[in-house]
Amino acid sequence: MINLIVIAISAIMFALLVVWWRWPAFRDWIEAPKYSMLRQERRFDGRDR
Amino acid sequence: MTTLSEHPIYRIQQRNGQPTGELPAVEYDLIRAHVVASLATLLISVSFGLLVASKFNFPEFLGGHAWLTWGRLRYDHTQGIFFGWLGNAFLAFFYYAVPRLANRPVWSRKLGWLLFGIWNFAVVLPGWVLVLAGFSQPLEWAEFPLVVAAFVVLAFILMVYEFVLPFLRAQLSDLYVSAWYIIGGIIFTMLAYPVGNLVPQLVPGAQGAAFSGLWIHDAVGLYVTPFALAIAYYVIPATTRRPIFSHFLSMVGFWVLFFTYPLNGTHHYVYSAIPMGAQKGAIVASAYLGMDVILVVANLLLSLRGSIGIVGKDIPLRFVWFGVVSYLLVSLQGSVQALMPINRFIHFTDWVIGHSHLAMIGFASFIALGGIAHLWQRIPGTRYNERAMNWSFWLLAGGLTLMIADLTIAGLVEAQLWNSSAPWIDSVRAVMNYWLVRTVSGLAIAAGFVLFWISLVSGPEVSAEATAAASREVSENVSAFENNDSTSHEPSFARRLSHAHVIAFGAGVGFFALSFLVLAILPGKELADEIKRVAPVAMPTLTASEQRGRVIYGREGCAYCHTEQVRFLAADVRRFGAPTEAWETKYDYPQLWGTRRIGPDLSREFNLHPQDWQLTHLFNPRLVVRDSVMPPYPWLFHGGPGQPTQEGLDVLAYLQSLGRARELSGLDQQVVASSDTSVTSDMEMASEASAKATPPTVPIAMIGGLSPSAPVLHPASNPNDLRAEVSRGGILFAANCASCHGPSGKGDGGASTSLLPKPANLTAARFSDERLSSVLWNGILGSSMPPWRQLPAEDLQALVAYIQSLSVPGVSSASQATGSLDMGKALFAGLCASCHGASGAGNGPTAGALAPSPTNFHLKKPKEERGLEVLENGVPGTAMPPWKDQLGDDQRHALVEFVRSLYGTPQENSGQ
Repeated sequence: MINLIVIAISAIMFALLVVWWRWPAFRDWIEAPKYSMLRQERRFDGRDR
Repeated sequence: MTTLSEHPIYRIQQRNGQPTGELPAVEYDLIRAHVVASLATLLISVSFGLLVASKFNFPEFLGGHAWLTWGRLRYDHTQGIFFGWLGNAFLAFFYYAVPRLANRPVWSRKLGWLLFGIWNFAVVLPGWVLVLAGFSQPLEWAEFPLVVAAFVVLAFILMVYEFVLPFLRAQLSDLYVSAWYIIGGIIFTMLAYPVGNLVPQLVPGAQGAAFSGLWIHDAVGLYVTPFALAIAYYVIPATTRRPIFSHFLSMVGFWVLFFTYPLNGTHHYVYSAIPMGAQKGAIVASAYLGMDVILVVANLLLSLRGSIGIVGKDIPLRFVWFGVVSYLLVSLQGSVQALMPINRFIHFTDWVIGHSHLAMIGFASFIALGGIAHLWQRIPGTRYNERAMNWSFWLLAGGLTLMIADLTIAGLVEAQLWNSSAPWIDSVRAVMNYWLVRTVSGLAIAAGFVLFWISLVSGPEVSAEATAAASREVSENVSAFENNDSTSHEPSFARRLSHAHVIAFGAGVGFFALSFLVLAILPGKELADEIKRVAPVAMPTLTASEQRGRVIYGREGCAYCHTEQVRFLAADVRRFGAPTEAWETKYDYPQLWGTRRIGPDLSREFNLHPQDWQLTHLFNPRLVVRDSVMPPYPWLFHGGPGQPTQEGLDVLAYLQSLGRARELSGLDQQVVASSDTSVTSDMEMASEASAKATPPTVPIAMIGGLSPSAPVLHPASNPNDLRAEVSRGGILFAANCASCHGPSGKGDGGASTSLLPKPANLTAARFSDERLSSVLWNGILGSSMPPWRQLPAEDLQALVAYIQSLSVPGVSSASQATGSLDMGKALFAGLCASCHGASGAGNGPTAGALAPSPTNFHLKKPKEERGLEVLENGVPGTAMPPWKDQLGDDQRHALVEFVRSLYGTPQENSGQ
């Protein structure tokens, strides 16, 4: 049980870090939503205010 | 500073056809309706909470009404916060945020109103009423009855349509983290809630507790937390107008949270009968969760980089910031208190109540309030009053800080006393003032919530015309800005498998299944095998009356103050008896283990208190325990403790069945007889499954029954020391004994009218040191006199001194003529010796079958008038009959003179 948790979390973290480090395009792709969210917010604010 | 439109990734999005063009509709009426419902239910729930808190100091307050008793109000307090307040607040935010995040409207306006109606008029309102009327289930965070739970499940299915399907239909290739938490939280809770509500009704005892533990934690971890984090991740960038620090970190935080949070559940049952593998797994998951929260909070606070000054100015953001900081504190606290060395000390205490209030107010409520204030300032036609909201923030922050500090210290005080040999009631007395402070802090919090409401309804008016004009103007700007360059195309298969699908089926369904498999189903199977192997062949089930009593016990919330699990801990075993094993709970539907102790554990109640004591205690606990804070239950009686209703008798039957199976199994007696060791170390007891297969050594003599090794406590011989002892004994007597024996020891305390035999009139006889020591150490079997051996020896000695001071030697009205003594001796040998023994030592041939034991006159010298009274009337509740019809005056006087002459003379066997 404990081994399962430790291995699973370590694997998730390691995989994400490797992808982050090896593929710069991944960084752009995974960071994109934080900008689209702001754009949407700006659009809605414009309509609602 | 680079503006948003200049950022390279933003430009990439523009080229990739991110949502532009027509804006989806937002259901503003539904937002307003849910905000109003959230604040109305919040104020009602907080009122329940204040009543609950005040009853700790004033247990008689509204105590005569079943529907206003502590247990039922407590159920409504937590369920009201959970469904009424937070549920409505989250729904209001979903209606605001989902169209923005999905770029699609919610599924249906009509469905939204149906959801609103179900949530408030089929869940919250009837749930409250049914609980107050006595229809509930004693499962934490699942107290509303199953019929209401069915509507909760229906509401979550509607939420999937309303808030999850817009994301699935939108086929977005990127999805902001708030959407991830909304989708994951809805799907997970839709699955976990029915399992947590229903399975403990179908799976008994320890196995059911494994499922309950999961839901207890999932309720906070996969319902409250994801939705609160969705708000925090939304409000921070929306207010600062800057993107969050790292969406990558937010994704790491999301996946680790959804993986580890469901695996935390069993940490509510550390040192219990649940397999140790599941307990340790939950503890490790709790530690990982703490690390994940550090990451999430760091990401959120770093998102305020360069904008921290806004926190002071923008009140909604300040609410959210406070909530984020509280999230860090409460999560780290949770990780630490799951660790075994900490858990063994603070579990069941007010520390945990402080922890849960920090989570539900400090974290969830502050963020929900921030979310409501944020959207209130942005939807058409509503604005808040800044001054009132500012006051609301500071009242809430101040009240909460006081409450958490107070409850944390109270928990430490309780823990220290529980780990000592002090009587249980000492821990109640020690925290009385802390409970009062908690109520005061609750008043400040309630005032903060009221001010928040006022701030929403007293904001400056916004002209609808001005709003519309502004909308037109800015919409044009937005249209120009967006350039309408949407490049819609048929999504490929890969795009069909959008992020929303991954969240719904990975985090929602997948991690739900994983957690229930490894923390509930597999440990449950292990427990079932253990029960088959260990349980006695002929284990008694509950009678119909006991079963009904169990339902009433659950209905009145008894399990929220009294646990029914002795943990595998030395302190627990010393105080209550053998640790609770899984087989003992094989007929418990649902489990009533409990997660809190205000009163003592009841799992070894069998034979611990006589029937009249139990009934008196139920009717009014303070009749027998002066400083008890337990609620009275007069509706279980026809006016007095001696006239229980059928329900009262059912509760009594259930209480007296607790621990019966173990007692009848004889396991503990065998172990005590074969071992010299009193208590195994905590870790050894709980470390492996074998600890549950082999009954641990139980110092059963510590909790009841006779101990031949009772020390004889002699009061001081020095007059000055004796005076001090008597004075100290008087204080102890008033606190512990006066409820039954009366303030002056005449046996006329509040409980005396309903106890049989009546409490002794301590002024009517002289007691030897040996007799008093024995009674204080062992109690009196067959009476309501409990053992007091948990008191320190110096306290017991002071009580001996005080009780002896109550008995001023009386003047005998008749001389002790030899002839009279001879007549008395002859009468005694003929009429009394079969019980009291030939020498009057209380050890006659029939004495062994009598409870209470016959008096040993070598150790107790009744005053003459008391002796005559006993001969005339007998002693109701004992085997002593009246002799007035068989003996004349002279004979009764002679008998009294004889037994009085025995005091202090040598005896063959002192008996009791």
